[in-house]
Amino acid sequence: MPIESGNRRRTPAEPLPVRRKTSYGSAGRASRALSFSVAVRQVFGSGFGTGFWLAAGWLLLVAACALFATVLPVRDPLDPVIVNRLNAPFTTNWLGADGLGRDMLSRLVHGARVSVVISLTAVSIGMLIGGSLGILAGYFRGRFERALMAVLDVILAFPWLVLLLALVAFIGQSLMAISLAIGLLWIPAYARVARANTLSVVQREYVLAARAMGASTLRILLREVLPNVILPVLAYGLVAMGLVVIVESALAFLGLSVEAPQPTWGGMIAEGKRHLAVAPHVALVPSITMFLTVLSLNYVGDRLRSRFEVKESNL
Amino acid sequence: MSETSNPQLRARDDIVLKVEHLVVTFDVGRELVQAVSDVSFDIARGETLGLVGESGCGKSTVGRAIMQLPPPKGGKVIFKGQDITRLEGEALRKTRTALQMIFQDPISSLNPRRRVKDIIAEGLQIWERPNQRARVEEVMEAVGLDPETAADRRPHQFSGGQCQRICIARSLALDPDVLICDEPVSALDVSVQAQILNLLEDMKARYQLTMVFVAHNLAVVKHISDRVAVMYLGKLCEIGSVDAVYQHPSHPYTQALLASIPELETSQEDAIPLLQGDIPSPMNPPSGCRFRTRCPKAQAICAQQEPAMQASPSAIDDHFVSCHFPD
Amino acid sequence: MTDSQHQTQKLPLLRVEDLTVRLRGEAGIVHAVSDVSFQLQRGQTLGIVGESGSGKSVMARALMGLLPRRATQQLDGRVSLAVDGRVLELLKLSEREFRTLRGPRLAMVFQDPMTALNPVLTLGVQIAEPLQLHLGLNKAQAMARALELLAQVGIPDPEGRLRQYPHQLSGGMRQRVVIAIALACDPRVLLADEPTTALDVTVQRQVLDLLLALQRERQMGMVLITHDLGVVANRADHIAVMYAGRIVEYAPTSRLFSAMRHPYTEALFKSVPRLSDPSHTRLHAIPGRPPQLIDPAPGCAFAPRCPNVQQRCRRETPALTQAGDEHLHACFYPIGSREVGA
Repeated sequence: MPIESGNRRRTPAEPLPVRRKTSYGSAGRASRALSFSVAVRQVFGSGFGTGFWLAAGWLLLVAACALFATVLPVRDPLDPVIVNRLNAPFTTNWLGADGLGRDMLSRLVHGARVSVVISLTAVSIGMLIGGSLGILAGYFRGRFERALMAVLDVILAFPWLVLLLALVAFIGQSLMAISLAIGLLWIPAYARVARANTLSVVQREYVLAARAMGASTLRILLREVLPNVILPVLAYGLVAMGLVVIVESALAFLGLSVEAPQPTWGGMIAEGKRHLAVAPHVALVPSITMFLTVLSLNYVGDRLRSRFEVKESNL
Repeated sequence: MSETSNPQLRARDDIVLKVEHLVVTFDVGRELVQAVSDVSFDIARGETLGLVGESGCGKSTVGRAIMQLPPPKGGKVIFKGQDITRLEGEALRKTRTALQMIFQDPISSLNPRRRVKDIIAEGLQIWERPNQRARVEEVMEAVGLDPETAADRRPHQFSGGQCQRICIARSLALDPDVLICDEPVSALDVSVQAQILNLLEDMKARYQLTMVFVAHNLAVVKHISDRVAVMYLGKLCEIGSVDAVYQHPSHPYTQALLASIPELETSQEDAIPLLQGDIPSPMNPPSGCRFRTRCPKAQAICAQQEPAMQASPSAIDDHFVSCHFPD
Repeated sequence: MTDSQHQTQKLPLLRVEDLTVRLRGEAGIVHAVSDVSFQLQRGQTLGIVGESGSGKSVMARALMGLLPRRATQQLDGRVSLAVDGRVLELLKLSEREFRTLRGPRLAMVFQDPMTALNPVLTLGVQIAEPLQLHLGLNKAQAMARALELLAQVGIPDPEGRLRQYPHQLSGGMRQRVVIAIALACDPRVLLADEPTTALDVTVQRQVLDLLLALQRERQMGMVLITHDLGVVANRADHIAVMYAGRIVEYAPTSRLFSAMRHPYTEALFKSVPRLSDPSHTRLHAIPGRPPQLIDPAPGCAFAPRCPNVQQRCRRETPALTQAGDEHLHACFYPIGSREVGA
């Protein structure tokens, strides 16, 4: 711990490169629209490039499929049309049919629902519980922090798949139960991310200044700490969602995800395994879909995270 | 007891802030480090006390201990007759608003996610003061920020000097009695530093402030202070009026500090030998007088006995020094 | 041979002509250094004074060939270094050729001694490494030389220090080690970029005196970069004042302080708090703030803050012009010879 926070002149910021953003100018209210576009650029940045937007577009498509699965003009995902059995893509069905002759496209669209619901719920649970614990640990330090970190280390040291299997066996195989189980698994990771970010925010003098103003602890946590911790935590959430999609598919592969006949991507891959020699598309189509989704989540999450980091150093 | 061992405390009835036997310790791994040990001084209404010393001398820690951020390990901080180290919770939070602080790094002192007007209004909102908007505009104008254009922006759209103006406006919004400035200009460029120093002088006059000005730059401290306290390794070495300390420095450390300032006027040949070596670690400070390891005058007694505060041989009123061999 | 030796005697050690650096920043092209020219003779110290953003550090990095390549939009001008009886054009060298110069010919001392040292290597290894690399010494020879260097930079108990790690030293001691490393291969030019800014006042003086003593002893050319006029006032032979990427005034030190011509130099000089002033003296602050170096407006960069600004200053950029023996300034309406300082 530094005894003296420093009498030293801080490194004079030589412009290498100068990062000061151009100011709005004093035009004021006349250029609301302009300043809005500047604000958007400040939040999302200007230099994301096409890759980012392609990934974001794909994610939007998946989300839209999940949301409108029942109203989209696709066939019934549970309706077996035996004559179409194992038909290749672009024949009777756009993306082919599976071993029971069910439409792959329709199963993908409905499967997206499971993936999206599970990843959203699981990540939200992890973020809420883990994030709050992490912020509290980072702010109050001391015995609470040490105890919490010890517990989290124990959880992290446990083989996650075993833990997950135990949890699923215990709480069941419904959509919500699976989300909850995976969500609990995410608490330690979120607690760590939130704690690390809180530790660096708490050192900032604006927290001290708020205390000097007489702000209560709750107010400091909500106004000064939370807004500065939430963005990096949210960005981490996207990467976490990608991992959740994979975890769910692993469960499905073991036959422990949402019960059949409800389509899930993991379940489709597991089923496709049997037909790999004759009809590889049954496994490949959901695999590629999942690959693109996880890749997009990681890419978008990573870009957003680095954007926030740059912004931090910019301030 | 405190009266006898602290001759530097003045018997005046306009003392706003009195610090007695202040002790601050930090947990460093397994050890306890005394960052501030037994420091006492007082500040009269409208006075500016400059607190100088090199890094690690505990001057910033003193500033924060006055604010009870965190509360000191020992000693009293008497503000307007009340020992605020005994206050807790709501009472402490309320009293603290009369003492405000400005920090070294203006950019890190401002929450990047909030607008300037919300940052300045923070204290007013917490204490539900009336006419918040008018007050915010008033202090913004006072520190030279245009409320019209600046209020809705966020801190990163301002330069370091402007951020320090925002910090000053924020600290003034609650109309404090005492302003504690912790190295407020050392992160700023010379040309901007002068603006902020002038601004602080103006604000002091306009809002009748009493100030504690913590800094390592002796020339800056001289410009702004009425009284100066010199610290070394957590101890007070010398305290007195600006004229007393700068014209008749009694402690060898003060003399060495003054001699080592790079000055613009050429050809100042060293009458006083330069200090040798570095500051010892505060983890295990030297016995007796803490300065003895670098002191050109050190004798056997300096290692055995800690010097007490005594009136300086300069014979100037309220000029005190803790040295066995003062000049 | 003798002829070329004679030539290098007359040639300046380091000659910089119209050095221009443009960097790619997030918000646009940063005009970091524009048309900077100066000469450095053997055994002389040039002080470069400027506030943050004046381009002084970028310039130093350009001289060391240490600009981040990806961020460099433009690097123009000529930098000639006269060593070993020949003149090297630094900006035309390849990265590999440049690497052989850093250490034995050109060395740099950085501002923050903590980040300039590798925390996981002992001091002995860090000092010995360049010796083994550039001078081809074996390990024992290099360590012996390292010991000598530590003693030269005034580190007590050098034998013990060789085996220590950077975190075991105080800030002042670390900076001495950084200086020892910079001097290890006996460079001809030493660039010191704010070498004492991170140090305490009492230590700052020791380190500056050490740098100057070593520079005199080894007859190096030294470029001392600082934001503090006081640091160079008694130490540099010449001073160049930089503002917004340009040298605005250049003069021998005593002449600069006795007859400054550029309004910025004077304003900077006056805005420094002085010990000789009585308490509560009003400081002469420079209004406004340093300009953005992205898309600089035409005209003199100091015009918006200048007390003597005229119409012409906002239209044209003044060039560095001769104002007397070795005294140059870039101002259309310079301050008439005036005694300052007394």
